[in-house]
Amino acid sequence: MGRQVCIASAGFSEHASKRSDVSMPELVSEAIEDCLKKVPSVSINDIDAFVNGNMPAFEGANIPELWMTDWMGARNKPLMRITTGGTTGGSVAIGGYYTVAAELPGIDTILAIGFEQQSQGDTSTGLASVAYGEISVLNTLGITYDQLTQLLSAGAAIGVASYQATNYMRRSKITEEDLARVVVQNRHNAAKTWWAHLKMPDLTIEDVLETPYISYPLRYGMVCPASDGACAMLFTTEQKAKDLCDIPVYVNGVGSVANETGVLGYNGSGAGQLDTSEQLGAKKSAELAFGQAGISFPRKEIDYAEVYSPFPNQELMWIERLGLFEENTASEMYENGVTALNGELPINCSGGVNSTNAIGASAMERPAVAALQIMGKASNQVPKTVHTAIGHGWGGVINLITMMVMSDKPTRKIN
Amino acid sequence: MQKVGIVGYYQVKLYSDANYGRYEMIFEAVRGALDKAGLKKKDITTVISCTNDYYDGRTISNSFAVEAGGAYLADESKVEMDGAHALLYGMMRILSGNHKLAVIWAGSMASCFPYHSARLFETDPTWERPTAYVNDITALGFQMRAYMNKFGVSAEEIAGIAVKNRKNASKNPLALKEAQNPNLTVKDVLNSETYADPVRELMVAQPCDGVAALLLAPEKQALKITDKPVWITGVGYNQDAYYLGDRNLAESKSMELASKMAYKTAGIKDPLKEIDIAEIFESAAHEELILKEALGLTDKGEGPSLNSEINGEFPINPSGGAIGGNPPCGTGLIRIIEATKQIRGEANGYQVKNVNKAIASGQIGMCAQNNIIYILEGGN
Repeated sequence: MGRQVCIASAGFSEHASKRSDVSMPELVSEAIEDCLKKVPSVSINDIDAFVNGNMPAFEGANIPELWMTDWMGARNKPLMRITTGGTTGGSVAIGGYYTVAAELPGIDTILAIGFEQQSQGDTSTGLASVAYGEISVLNTLGITYDQLTQLLSAGAAIGVASYQATNYMRRSKITEEDLARVVVQNRHNAAKTWWAHLKMPDLTIEDVLETPYISYPLRYGMVCPASDGACAMLFTTEQKAKDLCDIPVYVNGVGSVANETGVLGYNGSGAGQLDTSEQLGAKKSAELAFGQAGISFPRKEIDYAEVYSPFPNQELMWIERLGLFEENTASEMYENGVTALNGELPINCSGGVNSTNAIGASAMERPAVAALQIMGKASNQVPKTVHTAIGHGWGGVINLITMMVMSDKPTRKIN
Repeated sequence: MQKVGIVGYYQVKLYSDANYGRYEMIFEAVRGALDKAGLKKKDITTVISCTNDYYDGRTISNSFAVEAGGAYLADESKVEMDGAHALLYGMMRILSGNHKLAVIWAGSMASCFPYHSARLFETDPTWERPTAYVNDITALGFQMRAYMNKFGVSAEEIAGIAVKNRKNASKNPLALKEAQNPNLTVKDVLNSETYADPVRELMVAQPCDGVAALLLAPEKQALKITDKPVWITGVGYNQDAYYLGDRNLAESKSMELASKMAYKTAGIKDPLKEIDIAEIFESAAHEELILKEALGLTDKGEGPSLNSEINGEFPINPSGGAIGGNPPCGTGLIRIIEATKQIRGEANGYQVKNVNKAIASGQIGMCAQNNIIYILEGGN
């Protein structure tokens, strides 16, 4: 059952902390235009179906696709909305893949769209109810709402991420300097990506370490910005993709796995996990996606990776948990230039989420950039030829992972 | 399209103010569906949930239901529309060949949130939300008025739909108690409080608490799991324009297009003859008529003349429909479960005789902006 699915194009809006010059639908249509511009024979009328998503709480708009219908060209077209928090973009991309793979009659070419205009709302407020974990459970343990504010939610997601960072640092024996090195590489890469937000071509490790702590060990200079932006991807059948572009990118494997523990586990939700850097969900997601794609040695077979890391410790953690490097060796790879633009396994050459974070779009921008790297059309293109790449997303409370494995050849077996 | 098998289902009883928690409800539904099908947690390969962060009152609300919904370390996602749309995504995952057993669960607890405030956040934030003049309540009024004016349908005929559905609901043990009324008359409906003129309160599908779960499998696996599989042989979904002024509210173009897609897939030429019953998600009584006509069961404006009682010519909503209980996000999935029950002969008390093919529909948005419809068939 099913059929091969290809990515024929991907596009972005310009990202900034305040895109006050456009409304949310205009922001979305910017990404759609950039996506369709790369495949001139496809017009918005040729789109058979839409898959959409953003973080519903951040702009105070529930199911915005309803009133954005006409702006996206979706009037009287099939449309599905998928939201899974930080992974929304990744989940939408995976939804786009499944919409084509399912072989529904009349649905061949679809647009997947992820977006966020954070300047229109308050992300920290939106995230508060996530970071607090299971409020009622923590209350029964004697932790009051005030204490929760101090414990978990300092700077919204960062409150949880700092636990993850210290867990990871304990395991891998890395220093703050190692974290800063990751940031510097990302911001330098962002400077060469047209749509990126924090472009800092001259940033140094010392600059990063001079900024104040938000929550130890994460400093102001290490964390992602809050961006306005959108991303769109064009998924279609193998045959149509071959007509549309020189190098169609096959989606060979996908996965979306969580090991959140909520009320039933009585752990006080995901944030209450004993070691948040263990990441069973990431391992399982990678196992699923690599399994479908027939990849047995990710370290050897993957040429490029885009991972979702608002915080530098996560970038190190993900590339280990996803099987690209041995545990506790990621930091060395940054020191030795393995992950740089011209390295053996370049990571996040778009600058990553660390430099640009329009949440509902972020997890889609990962597979979108990875696909463009395979096509040779990325904004900050790596010099070597990329055959196989991954795009990863992180969300949920602390652990819901999306994975997409892409290649210039079909390797997924169709039964 | 290859057919996909429905191999299990479970719906918790609907309450206007349930005396148990959201996660317990989700667990009961998912566990109930697995138990009834004789399956275990380890058999699940993918889980698609359907909730809404505004309805649940917290961001990424699905991430707290991972364990309760059977999704721990399973390939999961969430569709933030109607449960019927979540089923579509589950179906796509089965059809892709990547998955062998999909759990779809959907629902929420309207007793825990101000439903109409949450719905207000679905309106255009620049032009409509500040005045709140156009909202899910007033939109129903506009829609019913447009329908009555265009086709000369009377308020009595529309009230008759509410009477039928509330009578049907009284035979459905899982329906909302407040919605069940075997002795209701058209006069009672017309004399109930004004909801949004000309809609009366008893015509409206009342938001309530409830969760439902459904299991999907590919053909081969489905035949191993159950000897009474129900097959999805067609699906169609479509989104209308948003602005009410851009739409003909007396009709439903999105449902027309969705049903066209579904009928084509399932090879249906004459739905009235070939299909035995329909379970339609109607936000209010008049919407059942509009959607019935959009489905091609009658001509436009002729909806009331087709007898849709349980023993009528073409039964619609024998379970009581959404008027029999409307747990936000769950309602569409419950329609599919009810149609499945009719085909399997498991609708005790409101079973229609000899049902082999059924329609079930879901929707979201004001005046059913986005519709989804399934064709279900019995037989091995």
